[in-house]
Amino acid sequence: MKERGILSASDLRKPWNKAVYGFMVLCIAIMTFTMLYPIGMTMFNGLKSNQEINTFPPRFFPSEWHWGNFPKGWAYIDLPMFLKNTLLIFGGNLLVTILVLGMAAFSISRIRVPYHRAIYFFILMTLFIPASSYMIPNFVNLKELGLLNSYWAFWLPAGANAYFFLLIKNFFDGIHPEIFEAARIDGASEISSFLRIAIPLSVPIFATLAIFTFSTAWNDWFWPSLVMQTQDKYTLATAIYKYVINARSLDSSIKFSILFMVMVPPIFVFLVFQKFIMRSVSLSAVKG
Amino acid sequence: MGETAMPHGQARTEPGHHTQMEHKRKPLWKKYLWGYLFLVPAIAIFVVFLWVPIFKGIFYSFFHIDFVKGNIFVGFDNYAKVLGNPDLLLSVRNTLYFMLLTLVIGFWVPIAASIAISELKLFQGFARIAAYLPFVVPGVVLYGMWRWMYDPVGPINALFGFFGAEPVSFISDSRFSMVSLVVMETWQQFGSAMLIYLAGVLSIPKDWYEAAEIDGADVWARIKYITLPSMRNLIILMLILQLIGTSQAYQSQLAMLDGGPNKATLTYALLTVKYAFNQLDYGAGTAMGILMFLVLSLLGILQFKMNREEY
Repeated sequence: MKERGILSASDLRKPWNKAVYGFMVLCIAIMTFTMLYPIGMTMFNGLKSNQEINTFPPRFFPSEWHWGNFPKGWAYIDLPMFLKNTLLIFGGNLLVTILVLGMAAFSISRIRVPYHRAIYFFILMTLFIPASSYMIPNFVNLKELGLLNSYWAFWLPAGANAYFFLLIKNFFDGIHPEIFEAARIDGASEISSFLRIAIPLSVPIFATLAIFTFSTAWNDWFWPSLVMQTQDKYTLATAIYKYVINARSLDSSIKFSILFMVMVPPIFVFLVFQKFIMRSVSLSAVKG
Repeated sequence: MGETAMPHGQARTEPGHHTQMEHKRKPLWKKYLWGYLFLVPAIAIFVVFLWVPIFKGIFYSFFHIDFVKGNIFVGFDNYAKVLGNPDLLLSVRNTLYFMLLTLVIGFWVPIAASIAISELKLFQGFARIAAYLPFVVPGVVLYGMWRWMYDPVGPINALFGFFGAEPVSFISDSRFSMVSLVVMETWQQFGSAMLIYLAGVLSIPKDWYEAAEIDGADVWARIKYITLPSMRNLIILMLILQLIGTSQAYQSQLAMLDGGPNKATLTYALLTVKYAFNQLDYGAGTAMGILMFLVLSLLGILQFKMNREEY
């Protein structure tokens, strides 16, 4: 017998409870179906002929399988170039986050420099200012710095994330201080104890950050569409927004095949790392 | 190895930083030199990319921003323009309506789902994954997907037709457009909230339920007096986060409908964005941002005061 939950085994023997429990299971089944249906529909629409998508009522499975939609969708816009831009932003953002915020968190958490509380406060204060209230000055500021249409406009501000800082700092706080003391006694400098002890021990938290950074780089379409001004710098999401979602003359079947291709990598990442990601989500309850 | 290399390295870098730390005694620098050097990049980036825009925003809101001819001081003109815009009141109303709808349609769903899923004996992991899966669907795919779901000849109307209802044009009818967006966003986002609640539900000690059952509490009483009170703080936190988030919503409104039909989905943040990036009036957009900040901080202070009075 498994550990009990709210219900116990004897509860389920009463007919009324049994009926309610059955209804609850039915609701969850409907919910699961509702969650999976639009995703499956997008996938199968990518395999239908254009006429079949536009017939009413819609069918879930294609009557003929048009695999040719995928090469056509791949060729419709320069997906590899947009993919490369997206991955460049993801890689740079992650590197800056780990180095800049990691070093700062190490200094505040482990070296405990004088005035570290003031600096900590200075960083955390930014969490309490709603992002939309400084979005436009942020854009003007980037423009005045001459960073528009450059990857630096993403890489550098990636280091200004108080929430990620908090996650790293909390993680460092949990590492046993004895490890660092031992290293210091053995003559390690602060740099080498950061690079050779703190970073290798913090792989789990950096993996969490990698997943958050990946999902931002992959999903964000609005901000890159403002900051990147020539087509060759667009990220995948921005390009899809500009050339696929709002396209008038594009066949629905090709559109869905592109949408499906864009959806697959994050779903794949999620399914592979699902245990880990679900734990990170519960951790992100503090996110502001 | 590091034993011999380190003192030299420190001795070399010390003189270069005399000016930065002149107010400190010498042994302190030696001890904390690297600590402060580690902080320099983060502080510089936070200043340049967060604090400068935040404070410049106050400054910009009094200027007409012109990248070519230079900024011109215009006093309170930007504020006057924004406050005199008849769309402002409409956008505030739309934002409040959107916030209300997300509460009515979306807020209770993850709470109920987390309690229900925690009671599943089989397929619990599967239900969790299925609930979370929409959250990893990228926004742009979501928009394409749901435009078709809501299509007059799409699957939802097919379902309605099956029950004999007339076809509804969900997103292009201004009566339903906002509701449709909220349903879409709930579909995408409730899974992540559900996981957070689920962690809370599963952390409640099982012997509490055992004890309650022995005392004769039925299932509803256990949920009402044990499960929900244990989740109280989490629910309040999620409520605050959701209100902060939905008060700034604009992306799906912009991507799905561009604020239409007939301005029915023009939210406050969307109006701000339109000022800045459609009319290139950055001054007015910034002024709207400042007004938003003032209102939100006022509410924050009010809430803090009310919390205090409780104790």
